Order: sequence, then structure tokens, then C-alpha cells
Amino acid sequence: MIAHDWFVEHRTDFVARTLEPDEERSFTEHLGGCADCRAAIARLEQELAWLPMGLAPVPPRPGLTRSLVAGALGERRGPPRWLVPFALAASLALSLGAWFWALGTTRAFERQLAQERGRLVEELAMTRDTLGIIREAGMVRHASISMGKKQGGMLIFADERTHRWNVVVYGLPASEPGEVCQFWFITDSGMVRGVEVKTDGRSPALLTLPMPPNARNVMGAALTIEPMGATGAAPAGVELAHLML
Amino acid sequence: MAVPDSQHRLPRPDAPGPRLLSDAREASLAAGLIARDERALVQLVEVATPWLLAVAQAMLADRDEAEEVVQEAFTIAWRRVDLFDQSSGRLMPWLLRITRNRAIDRLRGRRRRVDKARRLLALGGLGAGSAAPVEPDEAGTPGWQVHRAVHAALAALPPDQRDVVQLAYFEGLTHSEIAGRLAIPLGTVKTRLRLAFDKLRGGLSSLKDWVV
Ligand SMILES: [Zn+2]
Repeated sequence: MIAHDWFVEHRTDFVARTLEPDEERSFTEHLGGCADCRAAIARLEQELAWLPMGLAPVPPRPGLTRSLVAGALGERRGPPRWLVPFALAASLALSLGAWFWALGTTRAFERQLAQERGRLVEELAMTRDTLGIIREAGMVRHASISMGKKQGGMLIFADERTHRWNVVVYGLPASEPGEVCQFWFITDSGMVRGVEVKTDGRSPALLTLPMPPNARNVMGAALTIEPMGATGAAPAGVELAHLML
Repeated sequence: MAVPDSQHRLPRPDAPGPRLLSDAREASLAAGLIARDERALVQLVEVATPWLLAVAQAMLADRDEAEEVVQEAFTIAWRRVDLFDQSSGRLMPWLLRITRNRAIDRLRGRRRRVDKARRLLALGGLGAGSAAPVEPDEAGTPGWQVHRAVHAALAALPPDQRDVVQLAYFEGLTHSEIAGRLAIPLGTVKTRLRLAFDKLRGGLSSLKDWVV
């Protein structure tokens, strides 16, 4: 049992996130039952709100802002994610070939290619990390969904390491006009609205989802049909699937 | 080890004076997001991206990964704008907080600090990864005045306190990791951080406006 003084003393550390992981967990649990600390934390967060702006701004690469908007809107960018490792492997092979060729040419070109190779190796590591959500998922859950003659399902790969899920929704027909297919997190404090899932009856929808902010305990997920534009905190439409971890 | 240096990039004397993004304007941006107005999202992305990239890149020392984190922040802002509490905060600090938390989660989840330290060394120091060149018309950069004020508050800290803030707040290290990095006792780390944050809270409390 940690004395309350400890929490009072470490409030700023909690906001700054300098506590060790187990201390941070204890603090988060404590906040659930302590209104004083919650209020103090909110105040500290406001007081330090602008601190991150002490860093000089980094100009975005050309095209990044457009791609960020598209990404937030859920529009597909670039090739499907599963294609990326193959494309990277191919370009890495090409780059390595070019690298050997460059040995016979100028040193500057050689350096440039080595840098390129380093960048690709990093990209590959990152892609592996994304795939890691599937490969190293601590938990995989599946629910079958029947819609008329269509048989589909929802598959969840939960990676506790990075607190992210890869969710595959497949085999569902395109939504009716005025309706959307809505993903929900089931948490210990109720349903939390996730993202809209674009279904087209042909290709599966693949979503990489961070855990909802402020949700302490995510216990499962649900898929419903909701009226388009609905923003309610709880589902109002037909439930297609319901999965508990 | 130093706070990212921007003193040499202060606005030119003849640069246009700053304009405040009023509470009303920011509220209308937030209202636009809530109303699913894509133009509000576009405006927000244009204004906020350089600052969010700075936070994510300083932590992760990896541009591609930083862009992923910024993407996550905007995705949350667009899809979960219901989580934004207009009564208790501003849009920009909310985005900064999401970005910083996501970057720290990644750092801790992946245990990649060793790699990162190696990359930072290769980059030639702490400032290099986070303080990329800025366009010459900084005074026109939305938020530049806020940056100057925060920078001044950081610069006013004694060097030993500034160093622990740099490692803790801008690089996401925990108390014990900072103690290891600087080879100083854990208690000293905590004391320095506490003193520094007390000063920063005082120094930043007057900053209310997001300035364009
Ligand atoms: Zn408490």
C-alpha cells in the first residue's frame, strides 16, 4: 500500500511521464479513485501544456500534410500494407546491387548509397514492427458475421507490447446509403466509439488501432451498423459482432 | 547537452507582427472538427504539424516513425474529437499531449533506447534531431511566439536542471534512466526535475494564447 503522500509528491512526475512503468501503473490506478489527484493532475497538465513547444518546429516533408489529412480521414494511402515488405525487400536488393556497383565509382556516390541502404534497413525494421502486431499478437480473436447470403467476420490481433490492435473485417457487403459500419471498443467503463469501417463486399478492411485514450481497461470489441453521422457515446444500431478478449 | 537552440533564428525586426489566434477562432476550429468539417482538419494539420513533428522526432530520433505518431495524433483528433474537453483545455496542447504520450508509449514499448542513443550520437548531438531548419519567416510561423516564450523559460533554468528536463520531457526517459545516463543519484534527478518544473510552471502560466 503506497501512502498518499507519495502520490502528492509525484504528481508532476506523472504528468511529465518520468515515473518507472510500474510506478506509472500504480499512479494511474490511484487516479481512478482519487478526485484530489485527478484535479491536481488536470491543473498541472494545463500549466505545462505549452512546454512541448520549446522545441523548434520541424518543417514537414513535401506532401506530408496532404497525406496526414488523408490518413486521418481514413483514405487509403500508397500500396496495401502487406505489399510493403515485398516492395522494401525488392528495393533493398536493388540498392545493395547498386551499392556494390558504386564501389567502383566515386566515394560520394558510395556514401549516398550507403545512407539510402541505412534508410531502407530502418524502414524494413519499422515494417517488421507493424507486421509484429500480427506475428507477435498476444491474443487473436475471431467472430463470424452473417449478413444475408454474405458470410464474413472480424479478426483481432492484439499486441500488448505496443498497445495496438490490427483488426481485419472481411466479407461484409457495402453499407446501405445513410448507414455505416462502426467499430467499438468494449471497456470496463462502457462502450467507446472506435472508427468507421469501410466495407465493399470485396476486399477486407485492415485497421491498425491504438487503444482508446482514457480507457483504462479494454475488454473487447463490437461491430454495429449505425446511422451515418451518429456521434452517440453508445451504439444505437444493429450489432453485427461482439468479441470479448 | 542543451535546449534546442533557436536564438539565432529570432524573427527579423521588420517581420510582420504576430497575430493572436483568438479563443473564438480556436473554438471554431474545434467546432469544425466536431461537425466533421474536413476544412477544419486541413487547417489544423497545416498549423500543428511542424510542432507535433518536433515533439515526436525529438523523442524517437526517427523521422518516419515520428510521422507515424503525428498521423496517429491527427487520426485521434479527427475521429475521437469527442474526447477533447473544450472547457478544460485548448486544441493545440491536447494534440501536443497525445503526440508526446504516443511517442513515449512507442519508446517504452519497443525498448529501443540503445539504438536511439546510437543514432543520436551519429546525428552529432541532441539538438540535431529535433531542431531542423525552419523557414526564414519564423515570425509568420503559427506558434512561433509561444515557442520563443517557452524557449526563454527553458533557457532561464540552471544548466543542470535544464539537462534533466531535456532528457525527461523532450526525450521521454524515466528517473532511473536519467540517473544512469548522467551518472547521478536518483534523488538528485528527482530534486532537479521538481525544482525545474516548479519554475517552468510559473514561467509558462502566463502563456494562454496560441499565436500566429
Ligand atoms: Zn490522490
